[in-house]
Amino acid sequence: MHIPDGFLSTPIWAGLGAASLPAVGVLARRVQRELAESAVPRLGVMGAFVFAAQMINFPLAAGTSGHLVGSALLTYTLGPASAALVMSAVLILQALVFQDGGILALGANIFNMALGGVLAAHLSYQYLARSGIRGVGIFAGGALSVFVAGALALAELGLSGVRIPTAILGVSLSLLALNGLVEGALTLLLLRLLEGLNPRWVQMPEAVSRPALGILLIGGVLLVTGGVLVASTAPDSLEWLAEEIGLAERARNLLETPLADYQARFIAWPWLAQAAAGLAGLAAAFAASVAIGRALARRRRG
Amino acid sequence: MHHVVLEQWARRTGPVHALDPRVKLGVTLLFLIAIAAGPPLSVAQFAAYAGLLAGVVLAAGLPLGGVALRAGIVLPLAGAFAAVSWLAGDSHRGLTILLKSYLSVFAALTLVGTTPVARLFLGLKRLGVPASLVLVVQFVYRYLFVISEQVQHMRLAAKSRGALERAPRRYRLMVPAGAIAVLFARSYRRAEAVHHAMLARGFTGQIEAATPLRLGAADLVAGGAAAGVVLAVRFAF
Repeated sequence: MHIPDGFLSTPIWAGLGAASLPAVGVLARRVQRELAESAVPRLGVMGAFVFAAQMINFPLAAGTSGHLVGSALLTYTLGPASAALVMSAVLILQALVFQDGGILALGANIFNMALGGVLAAHLSYQYLARSGIRGVGIFAGGALSVFVAGALALAELGLSGVRIPTAILGVSLSLLALNGLVEGALTLLLLRLLEGLNPRWVQMPEAVSRPALGILLIGGVLLVTGGVLVASTAPDSLEWLAEEIGLAERARNLLETPLADYQARFIAWPWLAQAAAGLAGLAAAFAASVAIGRALARRRRG
Repeated sequence: MHHVVLEQWARRTGPVHALDPRVKLGVTLLFLIAIAAGPPLSVAQFAAYAGLLAGVVLAAGLPLGGVALRAGIVLPLAGAFAAVSWLAGDSHRGLTILLKSYLSVFAALTLVGTTPVARLFLGLKRLGVPASLVLVVQFVYRYLFVISEQVQHMRLAAKSRGALERAPRRYRLMVPAGAIAVLFARSYRRAEAVHHAMLARGFTGQIEAATPLRLGAADLVAGGAAAGVVLAVRFAF
């Protein structure tokens, strides 16, 4: 799932870098404020743990093997902000020193695995874990952290213009789903074991709402991710969708006033418009579902 | 192992090793952007970029073959995607991915092969990466080898207890989960022990560099020249 350099088109790696870098900066400052500054080395040792745990391979079905990814486990043991920071640190190290993932693609990889994966785990638990089905929340968190990260990576590759035949896309999605299920089961088992060893090690997010909302949220994420995937393998349909919503029109109008000179270049790069529209759509849908979930939760409590 | 060789290379001395890590980071970034944001590489352009990297590697006194071979680490993945693109009828893009990703990894290897990791992290911090993030990265790197070794010990111990290569189906996830839980417990305790030991020795939140970075005229001239050559290759071919 680590995207190397040379795979992504410039708007994608630059755009995701511009999104991830400030986000990591904010996280770093927040973690520094919340933790005593001198406690930061502890996070580093836990990052080394994730790095090492990823090396424990075990056989799965049909000759494939799997390993823990760990973003959900860290979310439930260190808290989401620290987990995202630790995962970012691991990705930075892998890109710089181990040539696992590109340096320019670091923004995209952090976006997918550190931010997307941790957020997926955090939200899944928040919305799914009511006392009775706590295990479901943990399982879904683990599974979705991997699935969302992988699907985002595939969507970014698709938006960058790498054409993936439908058959191969199907195989990669099934493998991703299998990896997700394994991660979910492993995260659930691990949390049970760790809670038995020392309850202090487990810090679950506060469960905020009804499971129905959680299922809706997760369904929405899956639908949007799937939609972007389908759209990116068939770029025409994305263009059609953008036209239909009037997104392209509005983007053009928005750009006309401040950037009149660049308009011609912008239109001469239809793929840029497509990529921007796709990512903006994904971000907007995700933000909307989070906002709606928050609002509903608040109304229920208040 | 991969990183051990890289560290040995990084510890050598020479004109490229002596450059300020900030300059090397900047030039590497410029090189990567020139490749990534440029049009599909022509043969001449690929040769020019490769020649440029080879020149730096040779000037640094690193084995060119070793670096070129190690950069091949990205080829399986890039090759797979090239094959997929080729299947989809877009062989040109496949070739572009292959060439661009190889050159990018080559450039990253040239950077870490000529810069000790500690200097690299210090450079990142001076370039504005948040200090707490750099601190986490430093500690991941420091304890990565310690904890990986623990994994090796645990693997050996499991083998000597008669562990099976393939656990019976119903234990297939329980076995790795148990191993990872043990590793978590040991790492967590180690993290606390390390933290306490550091506090006892007067740690206040930042690691100070024994030899601080100093940006000299030679660094700026070399960096400017390298940037100029990269831009020349980008726009001349």
